[in-house]
Amino acid sequence: MGFELRDHTADVAVSATGDSLEATFGAVADGLAAASCDEIATESGERFSLSVTAEGREALLFDYLDELIYLRDVRAELPVDHRVDSIDVESADGTEEWALEASARGVPLAEIDAREVKAVTYSEMSLERTDDGGWEAYVVFDV
Amino acid sequence: MTTFDANGITLERVREYVWEIPQEDGMRAPARVLASEALLEEIKEDKTLEQIKNTTHLPGITDHAICMPDGHQGYGFPVGGVGALDAENGCISPGAVGYDINCGVRMMRTNLTYDDLKGHEEELVDSLFANIPSGLGGGGVVEAGVDTVDEILARGVDWALEHDYAVEDDLLHCEDEGMREGADPSKISQKAKDRGKNQIGSLGSGNHFLEVQRVTDVFDDAVGEAFGLSEDQIVVLIHCGSRGLGHQTCNDYLRKIEQQHQGLLNQLPDKELAAAPAGSQLAEDYYGAMNAAINFAWVNRQLIMHRTRQVFERVFDRSWEDMEMDLLYDVAHNIAKKETHTVGDGEEREVYVHRKGATRAFPAGHPDVPKAYRDVGQPIIIPGSMGAGSYVLRGGANSMDLTFGSTAHGAGRLMSRTQAKNEYWGGDVQQQLEEQDQIYVKAQSGATVAEEAPGVYKDVDEVVRVSDELGIGDKVARTFPVCNIKG
Repeated sequence: MGFELRDHTADVAVSATGDSLEATFGAVADGLAAASCDEIATESGERFSLSVTAEGREALLFDYLDELIYLRDVRAELPVDHRVDSIDVESADGTEEWALEASARGVPLAEIDAREVKAVTYSEMSLERTDDGGWEAYVVFDV
Repeated sequence: MTTFDANGITLERVREYVWEIPQEDGMRAPARVLASEALLEEIKEDKTLEQIKNTTHLPGITDHAICMPDGHQGYGFPVGGVGALDAENGCISPGAVGYDINCGVRMMRTNLTYDDLKGHEEELVDSLFANIPSGLGGGGVVEAGVDTVDEILARGVDWALEHDYAVEDDLLHCEDEGMREGADPSKISQKAKDRGKNQIGSLGSGNHFLEVQRVTDVFDDAVGEAFGLSEDQIVVLIHCGSRGLGHQTCNDYLRKIEQQHQGLLNQLPDKELAAAPAGSQLAEDYYGAMNAAINFAWVNRQLIMHRTRQVFERVFDRSWEDMEMDLLYDVAHNIAKKETHTVGDGEEREVYVHRKGATRAFPAGHPDVPKAYRDVGQPIIIPGSMGAGSYVLRGGANSMDLTFGSTAHGAGRLMSRTQAKNEYWGGDVQQQLEEQDQIYVKAQSGATVAEEAPGVYKDVDEVVRVSDELGIGDKVARTFPVCNIKG
């Protein structure tokens, strides 16, 4: 359970597992934080919440990570210690709406040496169930 | 026939340095790789060849998709990829432009020599580092509201001229005179503008940098003279792009395509190649947004250049005009442009030429080369790693026939960032560069120095040699770093 940073020629990839979809999304987000900063301050910064909706499970993961990168730039804080509280899906008329509620601690960028991860990508993205009932995800970020 | 087996993909030799992956199932055209066998040995090691094959699945791909000599694995499109997609029956692909819209390089000349600079290296690198925003959260040269962002998006460097961050001569030495037509700020999302407004005039991090360099070789005296380059001269190279505004714009449109053009997306082997069909509303919207982001990136590099002039004025106690700190040229290497090309059957077609990690390389006489260089060909700036030289080339006579007027954009990465951090320590790299090569490096993060260590890049000399031999971009001059700042 948790994440690993994987080799990618130009960019950086995160491989993550969790016993629930929520834990897996949170682990990918922690991987994004680790790819941005080697030493993450353990106490600095306030927690904040965020909500994301999308039309599918993978799209929700993409939009969640995209939102975190957006919030990093406009709040001037690196989001760390991610918690995904809930992921719910509602279906109607053959379409789905996925909704995520999460929180993170925002460490002021001025306090750390963080590098810029430019964007989340769909390249080679996977999000699949594991044999033991958990989930595993693989996401490439553009650096 | 000579072939090259690259881990299951067979390339057929068309002629020296030109290799072809024949058309097979799903491919709408063959793919070509322009490389020596030494470069192919490196290119075959990651997914570059699979990715260039995938790009031939895009509707409207014309003649062939082409991988430049510095090609390496990206996402969707390989870095170093060129694809001309029919502007009437084809498509435009945000993924094939890349996240950093108009990531590019500009070079500014000076009349200083290396001797003038010696003894000032530390002061200069410290002052550049203190005054030019870099890294994450470092702000920008200009802190602006969204109204200003809209003006920059619409007018590009013309905005900078009005606000005294540029002179007329800067515009005359930039592609499209620093203002892309068809830019539509209303097609850039509020989120993208919010990210951009605090980053106007900032380097960012990763492989972006500002470097003070000395010219070590001029290979072509006549063209060197036209470019104003001579041996021992000091020049400044600036490499960065459209920052968060461009990254957000790319993802905004990838998601819109996913929602509105699922049918086309399902035909493609990689979701990251997401494309909007030519003529669709979304294709128009993306083209307007991308052109606006191009303007933003030009202003970004312009503001950094303006700040660099001020730093030089303080360090050398002379005016920048007196030091003749003039823009040589600015090239984009993540871009799609509607251009007219003569295609395979001899017909003239309008195509969206996607250059992702590739540089436009128009030859002498082409009407789109700025007047200042029309007789010699468009300047091309190829940055190397911080321990190797960079090159200035000029658009070669064969570029229109071989590459839709394009060549390479850099050295190309060889080693992943995670591996680089295991092999190198930033402090050691920095010390070694200073002691052995008299290169002064300053970065926000030691990890960035390790990730960008000279050893993680391909041999830029070999990339440039192949470009020169093919006649797509001819060698003009070589430069070597003196001071380097990065995020």
